[in-house]
Amino acid sequence: MTTELLSYSIIPLLAALAIPFFGRRSFKLTEILSNVTLLAGLGNLMFIIFNPSNKLHNYETFSFDGFTILMLFTIYLVALSIVFFSTFFKVGDFNKNAFYPLIMISVSAMSSMVLSVDFFSLYIFMEALAVTSFALIACEEKKSGIEAAIKYLLLTFPASALILIGLAIMLFANGSLYFDISMQNASPAVFSALAFIVLGFAIKAGLFPFHFWTPDAYQGAPATVSAYLAGIVTKVSGMYAIIKICTLLKVMGPASFKISSPLMLIGVATLIFGSIAALAQKDFKRMLAFSSISQMGYIVAGAATLNPIGILGAILHLFNHATFKTSLFLNSAAIEKSAGTTNMKKLSGLEKNMPVTSWTSVIAIFSTAGLPPLSGFWSKLLIILALWVAAPKPYAILALIFSIVTLAYFMLLQKNVFFGKPKEELKEVKEASVYMLIPVIVMCLIIVVSGIFFPFVFEFFEKTL
Amino acid sequence: MTINLIAVLLPFICALLIILISDKTKYLKELLSIGVLLTSFIAAALGLAYSSGGIQTSLNLEWLGEISALALKADILSSFLLAAISMFSLAVAIYSFSIDKKGSSKWFYFNILMTQSLASGAVLSDSLLTMLFFWEGMLVFLYTFIALSSDSHEAKNTALKAFLINGATDLLMMVGIIITASLSGTFNMSAISNSKLTLIGWGTAGYTLLLIGAVSKAGAFPFHTWIPDAALNSSASFMSYVPAAIDKLLGIYFLARISIYLYQLSSSMQIVLMALGSITIIVAVMMAFVQQDYKKLLSYHAVSQTGYMILGIGTLNPIGIAGGLFHMINHATYKSCLFMTAGSVERQTGTSNIEKLGGLFNKMPVTAVCFVIAAAAISGIAPLNGFFSKELIYKGTLETGYVWFFVAAELGSFLTLASFLKLGHSVFFGKTPSYLENTKEAPFSTLFPMIAFAAICLAFGFGAYWPIENLIKPSISQIGVNTASELTGFHLDYLFAISIAVILLAIGNHLLGFHLAGNKASKASDHIHHAPLLSWLYDIAEKKFFDIYEMGMRFVKYSAGWIFSIDRFFDKITDDIPSGAFNLTSEKISAIHNGSYSLYMAISLIGAIIYLILAGGLK
Repeated sequence: MTTELLSYSIIPLLAALAIPFFGRRSFKLTEILSNVTLLAGLGNLMFIIFNPSNKLHNYETFSFDGFTILMLFTIYLVALSIVFFSTFFKVGDFNKNAFYPLIMISVSAMSSMVLSVDFFSLYIFMEALAVTSFALIACEEKKSGIEAAIKYLLLTFPASALILIGLAIMLFANGSLYFDISMQNASPAVFSALAFIVLGFAIKAGLFPFHFWTPDAYQGAPATVSAYLAGIVTKVSGMYAIIKICTLLKVMGPASFKISSPLMLIGVATLIFGSIAALAQKDFKRMLAFSSISQMGYIVAGAATLNPIGILGAILHLFNHATFKTSLFLNSAAIEKSAGTTNMKKLSGLEKNMPVTSWTSVIAIFSTAGLPPLSGFWSKLLIILALWVAAPKPYAILALIFSIVTLAYFMLLQKNVFFGKPKEELKEVKEASVYMLIPVIVMCLIIVVSGIFFPFVFEFFEKTL
Repeated sequence: MTINLIAVLLPFICALLIILISDKTKYLKELLSIGVLLTSFIAAALGLAYSSGGIQTSLNLEWLGEISALALKADILSSFLLAAISMFSLAVAIYSFSIDKKGSSKWFYFNILMTQSLASGAVLSDSLLTMLFFWEGMLVFLYTFIALSSDSHEAKNTALKAFLINGATDLLMMVGIIITASLSGTFNMSAISNSKLTLIGWGTAGYTLLLIGAVSKAGAFPFHTWIPDAALNSSASFMSYVPAAIDKLLGIYFLARISIYLYQLSSSMQIVLMALGSITIIVAVMMAFVQQDYKKLLSYHAVSQTGYMILGIGTLNPIGIAGGLFHMINHATYKSCLFMTAGSVERQTGTSNIEKLGGLFNKMPVTAVCFVIAAAAISGIAPLNGFFSKELIYKGTLETGYVWFFVAAELGSFLTLASFLKLGHSVFFGKTPSYLENTKEAPFSTLFPMIAFAAICLAFGFGAYWPIENLIKPSISQIGVNTASELTGFHLDYLFAISIAVILLAIGNHLLGFHLAGNKASKASDHIHHAPLLSWLYDIAEKKFFDIYEMGMRFVKYSAGWIFSIDRFFDKITDDIPSGAFNLTSEKISAIHNGSYSLYMAISLIGAIIYLILAGGLK
């Protein structure tokens, strides 16, 4: 593991151990401790990223790549948003004493995954992350939560098995699981091992046709947990590994396409399938879930081009997806709390009562659909460009067309939920509290700022990747 | 040149000023406009005197760079037209002073001033582009003139009709101007006239398009259909100004310019022009004969008389051209006068339906006398001005050898007189209906222009020598027509005998019709109206079947229907079918996500197997 950044995985773990003890005395302390831990981590990361001296030295002092640091940043950012939001989000019999430690453990697991340099530790921490995720989904004592947790467990456990098989084959083939060593030898055994591993992670990431658990799990889980899962957990547990493997594949030379071309096919199929399925959804959260699947398709397709532009696009889209999907899920949570439902047939005209929620949704939606100058535009542009250059042309065209479909279903959502005439029973709905709006507003600011100042973002990754 | 420019610029400035004046002020707008138009008229008359004296002035301003200069030139023809236009503007402005049925008086005078300014600019232009600028500008004010003359919805419709007909033909004229300019290499009319264009190849197209613009402005068949509508839906003031005077002056002026000054016409084009003139005469006068509305009847005559002018110019011989131009100014005078009598009768009695009128001679003697003089003039009764100009046109027509056109013109003359006998008889003679017992004569401001025009009709008749020798002859000799033969003078020849015969026939016909209709003067045309075949033709004509505008609108309606269905078809292909397919697929996919664990697992496993086969197969 990259020891230099190890504190990012150890400190949340320690916090997770400490929280239950504080929680006995005062619940407030629990909340403060989790927020402070994550805020401190985020502050440190921002210091590393934005430190002017780094730029001055052309990032030569970095001993880790920009991908790792961006993933850590994303993990901490989303986790902090969720925790901060949950602090002011009081609904139902939600077991918060379990929630905060579990979040801390999953942050620690994700950071460790990102810092791993071998397949085995990647696998171990992925399993740890999966366990905390089951627990998080079930943290609200409702039937749907338990069902979603079991479905998640059962549908993703084959992934673990497949990955283990792949690891075993790889270990037999060249005796090492380190990323850099294990890939050098392009023997059939290594290929089959990689095929199994990629398949396992594809299931974890919820790619078509292994996506079935995602809509049910997101819809069944408590609102904040589904934001957390969609925003970061499934991305790190599945997608991070796939992108990592794609970055490593280039050492294998031309033979690498044997892994990448089925992956690209899966990616394009996923983005098409997710978009089409999202069109007919009647539930806010379920539509977001399918949109999430579709965006995963873009990321995989971009990464599987093995083209530097495509991989950069995939990495950036992963980050952008975290920002806009978290905002949308948090907005759905706010609506669920205020209006009592996320069924789009029962909602309408909320714009008047919840203006901030409405307009942050618009920004997030535009970023998802890839409208300039928001950040989602740049990452999608890079992905489509890479597909045009390094993949069959129809893939690029399909990716372009379905980005319009993305806009279509999100416009439907915006129209049904926020615009139009308010219903009689929704007249009394109130805007979410200011504190609940802060994380969303921050996310939207990041979307806008990183979109407008994209040249700087691009320069950062050009130097560090 | 400065003195000519007064007639262009002063009304324009005054029109802008009028907008600023409040609607509440009494007489200020009227008096200001009349003053300005009087000044313009005096300036134009002085300009005409200078031009006749041999001083030809011109003005060239930098405009549109290399393409064309803003060229104005006051030769005798232009000065003559300018003076005539200014005179009619002044007369109508005075006439409208106490006419209430003309819409908002602010906008009425604004429109008069604008039309005066633009029409003056158009006749002074020496460059085709400059002329087009003024000409197209008038189109806007034609629309506002009709649309603002009444609050009714029909007025707006008629305004649109006039605008579309003239807009379309102006567009064609614009193309004609471009062709003409590209053939000759310049927009300048004086330069083009130095080496006249011939009707070969593109020249024919260019001339035909210019011809369409000119005769449409003059209101010839088949571009006349908005004029009878405007007679019903707009004011008598407008009718006596634009369709009766300004449009005729401009259209025939431009027709003369293009047919003689710019192009060297061929004998086949001569037949086209003469046929167009004859058809216009016959068709319009036939329609006029059966009308039951004072103004509508006059409006068809305004069209019919255009035919004489086109026929005259179309003869291409000096006598015919002189007759055409003389008829242009004569027609403007008496037709303006006739529309003014219509407006005056309408103002005093409240109606213009001739069935409801009668015996007004004693009640409105001045109006009646003016009517009789103008009606005699239009019917070509010697020795009024209409007689002399028609005489010239007949002579010119006979000189070409095409007797049929002469016969058509004489037939037109016969019906003209017959319809004016009917009109005059039913309005001013006969029994006075009881509800008209208290009718009084119109005020002086209304009578004055009428009297002046009637006086001109007499003066240009008895003293036809003066206008022909001093205005018409120099004008046409300046555009390259040299007259060898005698144009003036009263000749007791066979033409005079024919005209007497026509007059007697018309009177006989009227008496016959009057008797057949049971002594009702307004029905004196019924024996022709309801004659076999003719009655059928009249029926479909009344339904506007031959109206070029209605034809166009019918075509637009059908083609719009077709285009709409084609559009729907493509919409279905590009929109309905894909989105329907998407929605269907989407719903089917949603249905698969039914929460069944075993189904999910099965699909995942199948997917895994396919993936592994794919990954293995590629090795």
